Amino acid sequence: MELLYALAVGALFGIAVYQILQRNVIRSAIGLILLGAAINLFLLSTGAYQGIVAAYEGLTGQRSDALPQALILTAIVISMGGISLVLSMLYVLSARYRTSDLDEVNKLRG
Amino acid sequence: MSEAFLFVPLLVTLSGALVAAAAGLPALNRRLSVTRLAWLLALAPSAAFGLILWQVAVLGSGPPLIWRFDWIPSLGLGAGLYLDHLSALFALLVTGIGALVVIYTGYYFKGKARPWGEWRFLAYLLLFMTAMLGLVLAGDVITLFIFWEGTSVTSFLLIAYKTQDEAARRGAFKSLFITGGGGIALLVGLLLLSYVTGSSELSAILGSGDSVRQSALYPAMLGLIALGAFTKSAQAPFHIWLPDAMSAPTPASAYLHSATMVKAGIYLLARLNPALGFTDLWFWLLSLVGLTTMLVGAYLGLKQNDLKALLAYSTVSQLGILVVLIGQDTEIAFKALVIGVLAHALYKSALFLVVGIVDHEAGTRDLRRLGGLAWVMPASFAVGGVAALSMAGLPPLFGFLAKETLLATATHPNVPPQVNFLFPVATVLAGALVLAQAGMLLWDTFLGKPRDPAIQAHEAPWAMLLAPALPALLSLAVGVLPEPEFLARFLADAAAEVYGAPVKVSLALWTGITVPLVLSVVAVTLGTGLFLLRHRVRALQMRIDERWSFNTVYAGLLNLIDRTAGLATRLQGGKLRIYLAIILIGMVALVAGFGGLSRWEALAALSLPRLSFEGEVAVLRIFALLVTVAAAAATVVLRRDFSAVVALGASGLAIAVLMVLEPAPDVALVQVVVDILTVVVLVLALTRLPREQRQRADTLAARQSRSGLVGNALIATASGLVVAFVTLVARTSRPRESVVTPFYEDAAKTLTGAKDIVGAIIVDFRALDTLIEITVFSLAGLGVYTLLRYASKKMGDGGEAAPPSGAPLPTLGIGGRETSPFIHALAYVSLPLSMLIAVVHVMYGHDQPGDGFTAGVIISLALGFWYVVFGYHEVRRRLFWLRPAPLIGGGLLLAIASAVSAALVSGAFLGHVDFGQQLGLPLPQGFNLSTSFLFEVAICLAVLGSASYLLDTLGHPGEEVK
Repeated sequence: MELLYALAVGALFGIAVYQILQRNVIRSAIGLILLGAAINLFLLSTGAYQGIVAAYEGLTGQRSDALPQALILTAIVISMGGISLVLSMLYVLSARYRTSDLDEVNKLRG
Repeated sequence: MSEAFLFVPLLVTLSGALVAAAAGLPALNRRLSVTRLAWLLALAPSAAFGLILWQVAVLGSGPPLIWRFDWIPSLGLGAGLYLDHLSALFALLVTGIGALVVIYTGYYFKGKARPWGEWRFLAYLLLFMTAMLGLVLAGDVITLFIFWEGTSVTSFLLIAYKTQDEAARRGAFKSLFITGGGGIALLVGLLLLSYVTGSSELSAILGSGDSVRQSALYPAMLGLIALGAFTKSAQAPFHIWLPDAMSAPTPASAYLHSATMVKAGIYLLARLNPALGFTDLWFWLLSLVGLTTMLVGAYLGLKQNDLKALLAYSTVSQLGILVVLIGQDTEIAFKALVIGVLAHALYKSALFLVVGIVDHEAGTRDLRRLGGLAWVMPASFAVGGVAALSMAGLPPLFGFLAKETLLATATHPNVPPQVNFLFPVATVLAGALVLAQAGMLLWDTFLGKPRDPAIQAHEAPWAMLLAPALPALLSLAVGVLPEPEFLARFLADAAAEVYGAPVKVSLALWTGITVPLVLSVVAVTLGTGLFLLRHRVRALQMRIDERWSFNTVYAGLLNLIDRTAGLATRLQGGKLRIYLAIILIGMVALVAGFGGLSRWEALAALSLPRLSFEGEVAVLRIFALLVTVAAAAATVVLRRDFSAVVALGASGLAIAVLMVLEPAPDVALVQVVVDILTVVVLVLALTRLPREQRQRADTLAARQSRSGLVGNALIATASGLVVAFVTLVARTSRPRESVVTPFYEDAAKTLTGAKDIVGAIIVDFRALDTLIEITVFSLAGLGVYTLLRYASKKMGDGGEAAPPSGAPLPTLGIGGRETSPFIHALAYVSLPLSMLIAVVHVMYGHDQPGDGFTAGVIISLALGFWYVVFGYHEVRRRLFWLRPAPLIGGGLLLAIASAVSAALVSGAFLGHVDFGQQLGLPLPQGFNLSTSFLFEVAICLAVLGSASYLLDTLGHPGEEVK
């Protein structure tokens, strides 16, 4: 299970990186979002233990570790804000240069 | 008297600086002439001088006054002040000469063109004074370092005061470059020192000299601290900054380069002598560097034509002497040290100020043009004469005594046999050279025939003369008057602090015919000879090529830095993908290098996936993981951007399933709503791009070059493998017991009244983080709005379509297509429903999954639906009451108000207070009217505001590129 999980996180990360490196702006944005997802999944694995029941007072049984969950929750919110900002920047960029191709934007530099 | 009183002199000089800065206000500046301002400001250093004098009287011969302030006690960080006779000696020089220099400045700038305003100079000067005073009063090495850097920065400002002058800028940069570099070395050295002694407090460090000297780190910290001191005190080969710093206005040179800044290194070495000194290494390092500096300075001084440069080099020479003295371990050396410090400060500041007067009145400081000024400037001549004779080391002046004690040190039997010849010879030689310079300064400026008829000099105002006259008079008084008992005792106490044992100091000039006296006569004879032959000697000096000076090394170093920077900028091609690739390659290399080598056992311990179905959710997990990865892979494969976005949404939903299985219901909920919102925002962004551009973008992947794609794939694979490896290690080797979580689990119900532990962490335990987080989220919304609406409007990227008015509009959906009534009905229902759900979330989120953030996003989703169904204008018309900015502002204000109300009731900012319980309100079961509830409401409002900004801007059709 551990190996499978690790491979999935790695695959997600790799796909995210590949997408970020694309020339198409929208694909770059998608890559950024996937990157956040991969990192959140990784964060989950930093918890001390896996539980059977959710982290609620009054439930019996091994509770899942609340700490990484709180971290992920914060990370999701922040990355949502960050991504929307990046997205609008990419939009302004592509609207101003009339293209979604990052390489073309680069050529127009200076 | 309280020890905290030590603070007062610092506050006084600092407030002086503030007053000077306030004089920059036009209203004040017009009414206050620079002379009056200077007189007013001189009160600050004078008061500080008086205060320190009083504290010295209180101190008597007792232990030092120590004041300490704990800043971060858990890290052992603090600040401290420390006053003993040594720091008092320097502090008195700093404030005493400081007061004179401030008055002098008022006259120096009088009637000059004032492009920047002299208040600026005076403010810098007093700031520098504060830093310097703090340096000598510091009782903690960290405090000392901070003030040390303060002197570097403020002296930079002073030297570069004439900003239009390129030489001034360059000189200022050079001094900052060299002393700042030394400062870094000093910091490391001081940190090593406090590491070895276990304390950063000066009193503790001075008391543990033995353990310092035996430490294996001793050579390292000695070298680093000495490097800091040498750069600051202009020891060879770092002396090159001092002559270039002469481009500062003369008051700054007089102050910085006689009594204060260059003495900082001397003070530091003297201060730490009890801890670091008395070793062979210390002796050889300080003696050799000091002797070299002494000779280099004395030699170079003789060839200068500029009076200030001449003084600068003789200062270098004198600083070398002081460093040599600290390196010794004989009693007489420390007597010579304190006398040398005082005598030099007195005569050198007087000389600098006189040179300033000459420059001011005659318009030049070039020795080749001056001459015969004694008849027009008799008072300046008298003052300068006394100071120059003291510099020459002639009786009956204080400088004579300084030279005698120095010679006595040089001929002391304790000097090792290898150098017992070198010491006296070098000292005599340097003495002769400096004497010749003093003669040159005096004779070629004031006596002889006027060389340049264009110079029309006249005497300076009396108050301007007061500044150099006082120190010059003191130089004379100490020598002529019967021995002042209190001064001798004070100097003896100061020397004892350096030596670590009592030192006898007598200020009697005549001690019978001794070896030093004989050597002194030799030096005077030699110096007089040099003076008489000065033209020939100088002509000889001029012939020696200047190329092999340390300035060449300095220039080469700067050149090297420039070239390296040029190389680095060439790497920056401006391609985002290249930067990312470099970052990722770096990460891969780091993990492979550090982790890979030491973590192979983790790989050995891994087990192959076991597909067991016994009461586990493993199958579901595997399924969710597969969906996540497959959908993510689909975003690569699918050709249309729109399909890729949908696949992205699917991947996010699968992650939500994973979170449910964890089980982490709160995270799953947020993941679902955020995922949907992200997809909505992405789709909205897509629709804003022109169709033609979108179609071109769709084919981009296919048109990318094969080698580029392979390169990207390689980078992606490598980083994916590294992350997989790190995750594997994290999951297999994680500790099975948490340190923090049990606390949250135990305290959630009792401290915050929440059953939901994750929620309790977010809204109560780590509430400050959350407050910042929603601020960031709100700013992101504002940022999007500014970027897309405000900025693009300004840039003229697209005109906003005029909002249609008048006739009822057809309700057109996004893209201008008409939508069915069924969808309309759904939309009408969804918004109130979402608000209801949000209210439930906010009210009961403390015990159930869900929180204010989810609530806000849920309403935003319904809103997004409206934008898709009705189109921008219709939504704005119907939901006119939905204003993002007040929502964001109200949310943030409510969060702060709830935090403050908690602070008022329970004493803790963002603490937990249950108002409902306290007021005894009848509330439904499970709902608490508490600060947590208010905070959740605040989060909900801010998120709703920010998200509607997002939707509003991205859903706006007006700026579609035509």
